[in-house]
Amino acid sequence: MAKIHGLLDLGKRGLMINQTALQTTSHNIANRGTEGFSRQRVDVQTSPPVWEGNHRIGTGAMAGGISRTNNPWLEKQIEREGSQLAFAEGRATGLQKIEGVFNEQTIKGLSGSISDFFNSFRELASNPESAVARTVVRDNSVAMINNFQSVDRQVDNLTKELNSQIEAGVGEINQITKEIAKLNEKILSVEITGTNANDERDRRDLLVKRLADKVDINYSEDTKTGTLNITAGKTGILVAGTSYEQLRTGRTADNKIQVLYELSDGGSVVDITDQFKRGGIGGAIDVRDNIVTDIKNHIEVLSYNISNEVNKAHMEGFDRNGQQGQMLFDIPQDGQFVIENLKLNKSIQDDASLIAAAAKPNSVGDNTTANVIHSLQFKPLMNDGQYTFDDFYNAKVGQIGTLTQRENSAFETQKNIVDQLKNTREGISGVNLDEEASKMIEFQKSFEASARIIKMADEMFDTVLSLKRM
Amino acid sequence: MRVTDKMNQAQIMNNIQKSRSELSTLQNQASTGKRITKPSDDPIGATKVLSNRGEIKNLEQFERGAQNARLFLETTESVLAQLSESIVRAKELALQAANDTNGGSPREMIGAEIEQINGAVMEMANRRIGERYLFAGHKTLTQPFTKDGQYSGDDGEMKIGTNKGHFIAMNLSGDKVFLGRGVGADGKIKPSGETPQSVDELQNYKISEAEREFKNDEQDESRIETRGPASVGRIQRLGKEDPVIGGEGVNIFNLMQGLEVALKANDKYGIQDALEPLDQALNQLNLARAEIGGRVNQLNASTDGNQKTIIDNKVNNSLVEDADLFKVMTDLNKSDTTLKATLETSGKLVNMSLLDFLR
Repeated sequence: MAKIHGLLDLGKRGLMINQTALQTTSHNIANRGTEGFSRQRVDVQTSPPVWEGNHRIGTGAMAGGISRTNNPWLEKQIEREGSQLAFAEGRATGLQKIEGVFNEQTIKGLSGSISDFFNSFRELASNPESAVARTVVRDNSVAMINNFQSVDRQVDNLTKELNSQIEAGVGEINQITKEIAKLNEKILSVEITGTNANDERDRRDLLVKRLADKVDINYSEDTKTGTLNITAGKTGILVAGTSYEQLRTGRTADNKIQVLYELSDGGSVVDITDQFKRGGIGGAIDVRDNIVTDIKNHIEVLSYNISNEVNKAHMEGFDRNGQQGQMLFDIPQDGQFVIENLKLNKSIQDDASLIAAAAKPNSVGDNTTANVIHSLQFKPLMNDGQYTFDDFYNAKVGQIGTLTQRENSAFETQKNIVDQLKNTREGISGVNLDEEASKMIEFQKSFEASARIIKMADEMFDTVLSLKRM
Repeated sequence: MRVTDKMNQAQIMNNIQKSRSELSTLQNQASTGKRITKPSDDPIGATKVLSNRGEIKNLEQFERGAQNARLFLETTESVLAQLSESIVRAKELALQAANDTNGGSPREMIGAEIEQINGAVMEMANRRIGERYLFAGHKTLTQPFTKDGQYSGDDGEMKIGTNKGHFIAMNLSGDKVFLGRGVGADGKIKPSGETPQSVDELQNYKISEAEREFKNDEQDESRIETRGPASVGRIQRLGKEDPVIGGEGVNIFNLMQGLEVALKANDKYGIQDALEPLDQALNQLNLARAEIGGRVNQLNASTDGNQKTIIDNKVNNSLVEDADLFKVMTDLNKSDTTLKATLETSGKLVNMSLLDFLR
């Protein structure tokens, strides 16, 4: 026999469960814009029936738990592809900056000043006696040196910028790992009771993605405890259960920021910079150590070769005063060449008549040496006689252009992939207001109906109690 | 497919972003008129434009040099034309004077005119353009001829680059034009026609030039010039290296001076002796003028070539880097419409929700 008490209980459970459902719906609506949030659902199930003679009678519904709608495999994919995207973005932005330095479409660049330099020797060859032509040669030489140094400086600044980017990135990583370790602890303590730590897991998923945007990470969840273990690169264990390890930065001899990992507390420190092949930091390291370094070398080799070859010819010649030519460019003879220190020979800077045009002493009209110097522009003097100075430089500009173009499109492609994945994720885990609104109406109606059940039970009690008075 | 609010938002943002970046690229093209504004827009094109632009710059400089050389050569040519006229006049006078029917005093008068001509010839030999002497070889700031016809220039040639690896000499040295040195087979070693273009070549050039100078000096030492009525315009050589007579050039100063002396001394045979060398002198000058004409022709040819290359390069650059403005404008319109449509539909879509209808 069913009891009226049972009805009261059933109505009460109905009220509670619908209230829980409404609360969850409200939670979803409130977190519609929260990054990384997965919509949550109350898992409603029937409560255990009771025996009434030969029958089992239902006792209403109860909440089995609150779960989030989430696809872990998709999250992992987003993490992986997002890491690639950050890498491509790091490379693309780095390359765009380099491209700006070599963009002769808008600025007068190195190629122009190299041409001007050799053209001033052509002018001198036309007027080998002229003091004016010599002054022009001197000024154009200085302009070319300045241009080389300005490009070199801009390339160095890029290295500095990338360095600080890496340093700041490591700082963020340390913040994130600390928070993940805390979340691990929280999730462990919540889930040991058998309930889902939905919001903490959402937050942790988001942080893992942010971490992957910085560097390449590998992670796995401990299925027993629900904690996440994260390794950066190959050997940098960042989070293990509830403990975490902070990365450190150092400087190499040539002033590059390196990422360091301490194997054990106070133990030996390992340089793991080269292990990063993904993420924004990976991109910055790649641009810095491969592209920027290569370009700096290239410019250095070019400026050294121009100075050295011109010097050789110039020293064979004779100046306006009939004296043997000196070095035009002041470059060290011991091979320790850096662009920063390249300058015009001090005595020529002071007296342009020391610029040599002749091949014989005391013949002011002789332009043989000037002819030789401007002919050097067309001689294949770079890379063991493969390239002229112009070719050597132009080829690099072309290469930078090609690289930038490729990286830009790689970035676009990767962005599309990630956008697509994020879209899919939103399709699964995202909040839809229409849906929540209709759920709200549904639960509200159920709540009302549950209340009616209690009222009905109350009336039934009244009916039964009034029997005695009749 | 389940569509959520965030998906809508992301999609709208993406679309607007795409339209805007397209518009900004097109706007940039329209305002600069360039299709390539940075190397990555078209790496191959950008490299091509860069090297073309360098070539244009170089060719324009080559052109300035050629202009300069042309002026120098044309001035030289006009001096030589004047000189030829003087020699022709001298020959007329000499022919007149060689005739016995002319008495003593006319010869003296003719001598006086020759003296004037000689002065003019000397002035021509020391003619300048700007501060540079035309006939001094490499020693352009030194007056090449003294009053008695001593040459203090050298036989250097000023080579002017007219294109990559291509050089044209812009001067004739005075010893060749006026002294006839190195014109015929007088044993003098002429300057090499090759222009050194690298450090190695420059070193070799300096060695061979030193050698040449030494040998020529040796030759000069074994040469004795005699002058007198009986040997007008003749150069006598002593020593073993005496070349075949007849192949030598003419020393115009000696010839004219000899003629003047012969006229003033009323030396009929001296005057007659001068007639043939005068013809040789004219030939020598014509040879020089032909050489100059040849060089001017070369210069003109290379100028034509260079000008054409400059224009070709400019056209090429324009084809590669300039934007097709008509296309840009059409595309701009299209992108503009797209953006407007995106904005309009987005505005409607974002506002829509079930909640709006639950009143």
